[in-house]
Amino acid sequence: MSQLNVNNMVGPIMRQGALAKAVFEAAEVDNPGKKILVEDKVAYVRIQTEDEMILRQETIEEMLGKPFRINQLEVDMASFAGRIETNADHVRFYYTKHL
Amino acid sequence: MATLERMDWYDIARTTNWTPKYVQEDELFPPELSGTMGIPLEKWESYDEPFKQSYPEYVKVQREKDAGAYSVKAALERSRIYETADPGWISVLKAHYGAIAREEYHASQSEARMARFGKAPGQRNMATLGMMDEIRHGQIQLFFPHEHVSKDRQFDWAHKAMDTNEWAAIAARHMFDDIFAARNATEIGLMLTFAFETGFTNMQFLGLAADAAEAGDWTFSSLISSIQTDESRHAQIGGPLIPILVANGKKAEAQKLVDIALWRSWKLFSVLTGPIMDYYTPLEDRKLSFKEFMHEWIVTQFERALIDVGLERPWYWDQLLDEIEWQHHGMHIGVWFWRPTVWWNPAAGASPEERAWLEEKYPGWNATFGTVWDVITENIVKGDMAHTYPETLPVVCNMCQLPVNATPGPAWRVRDMPHMHNGRLYHFCSEPCKWVFEQEPSRYEGHLSIVDRFLAGQIQPMDLGGALKYMGLAPGEIGDDAHNYAWAHAAHGERLKKAS
Repeated sequence: MSQLNVNNMVGPIMRQGALAKAVFEAAEVDNPGKKILVEDKVAYVRIQTEDEMILRQETIEEMLGKPFRINQLEVDMASFAGRIETNADHVRFYYTKHL
Repeated sequence: MATLERMDWYDIARTTNWTPKYVQEDELFPPELSGTMGIPLEKWESYDEPFKQSYPEYVKVQREKDAGAYSVKAALERSRIYETADPGWISVLKAHYGAIAREEYHASQSEARMARFGKAPGQRNMATLGMMDEIRHGQIQLFFPHEHVSKDRQFDWAHKAMDTNEWAAIAARHMFDDIFAARNATEIGLMLTFAFETGFTNMQFLGLAADAAEAGDWTFSSLISSIQTDESRHAQIGGPLIPILVANGKKAEAQKLVDIALWRSWKLFSVLTGPIMDYYTPLEDRKLSFKEFMHEWIVTQFERALIDVGLERPWYWDQLLDEIEWQHHGMHIGVWFWRPTVWWNPAAGASPEERAWLEEKYPGWNATFGTVWDVITENIVKGDMAHTYPETLPVVCNMCQLPVNATPGPAWRVRDMPHMHNGRLYHFCSEPCKWVFEQEPSRYEGHLSIVDRFLAGQIQPMDLGGALKYMGLAPGEIGDDAHNYAWAHAAHGERLKKAS
């Protein structure tokens, strides 16, 4: 149990809804070769992968099927695992150290 | 005319430090408000906020969030959640609003202090948005419960609790004052935003949102998870301070502030969030146990991030992991036992089915905490209600302001950590609470716990009636068992069945 902290999972925790679904689909496209895990807690959904996850504005926009600015991710992003870096057209979740 | 993308101008636009000519730097940024720690101004300018948002973007996004939360409320206004929900769930709402809503305004003032006195321009910018976030949280969490006030006076405590000397309000104020209301810009960044908001607020605003969704209370679920989207941005104010402090030889100071804030948060959550998740929320709606939520948010997520930003796990980490197993069960018994002194109706959560769930989630519960509920159950069934109420005062910790308690039964290990300071004997529930006091005795030494006040004769007459008056609890507001003791008769029937 005290080993729970030894993990490298990063990614957003989204409120349930259309954006959460689009973010999950975008995560699969934007992070080729990586296994994306989804944990559904009804009110919120953990979307995670190991070490690093990129989410691109245009991919989310495509999955959502309507105009989307990357800063609108915040509307439903209630938390996230790892650290975050916000950029003009993408968001990156990461850890600097791999445990 | 083409407009620049945010990232093309953001860094320049928020680089707002200058060299003061008419005043000294320490007059512009008084160290006691800025939390300078002797680090020169230019070193703070390396602060790089990871979550960048401009003001126009902020307004647009916040408008979208509010439109969502308020429209869910409007759409479900006729769902009669107040009339149809389990009384235990109604108690969750009352406890939450009273403990949280008004403290959001304190948080706003603390964000404002960072927005004015933070020496890092990026911190000031982020905190300006954080200040407005917290005003939103204060207003929305007073507005939502207000519709219930006409039906139930306990909902009035959403606004009233923090103006009273009710014991749980004293404990909450003592903790929130310590980790942000009475701290400087650097301390607020580390204690409020980093330790409390990237850690514990996830428990109350997302863990509880999951339970609320299960309970069918979509209004509350949507409200608190929407609040947490603001937190996920402004909670990032503290992180970038850490590399600056570490690079300038202040790692130990940063670590100490985080350790104090995390421990103090844990203690308050053990009395507030623990009981509502494991006892008040109807059994069929409990998504995870309090312990499981603590593991998810604090151990798996927060502690992992703590190590990544260059700090260490707190020195009391093993004790925290141990207390996650049991502390909130004892707190729950205390709250239920002293139930006239709270502004909600505690749900015992001790029916046969609930006890089976507790035993599964916390093996050994029946042989320890369960034995206390056995006695309470027998007294209720016998009609001996007097013995289901306390006759004495608890020993209250002079740091967390909560009753000193531990696991009952053969493994009884309740302990008091006495400490003499300037001729006064202080009592602490744990080594970490005593350690917090020792870090800065002058900060805490003058405070009197509710029991100290009683013994000093400040509460008159010295009986329950006097105590309720002192705490501001009027008839119609004082707490009683949420389910009118029906669970006790069910538990008694079950035992008779087993015995025959």
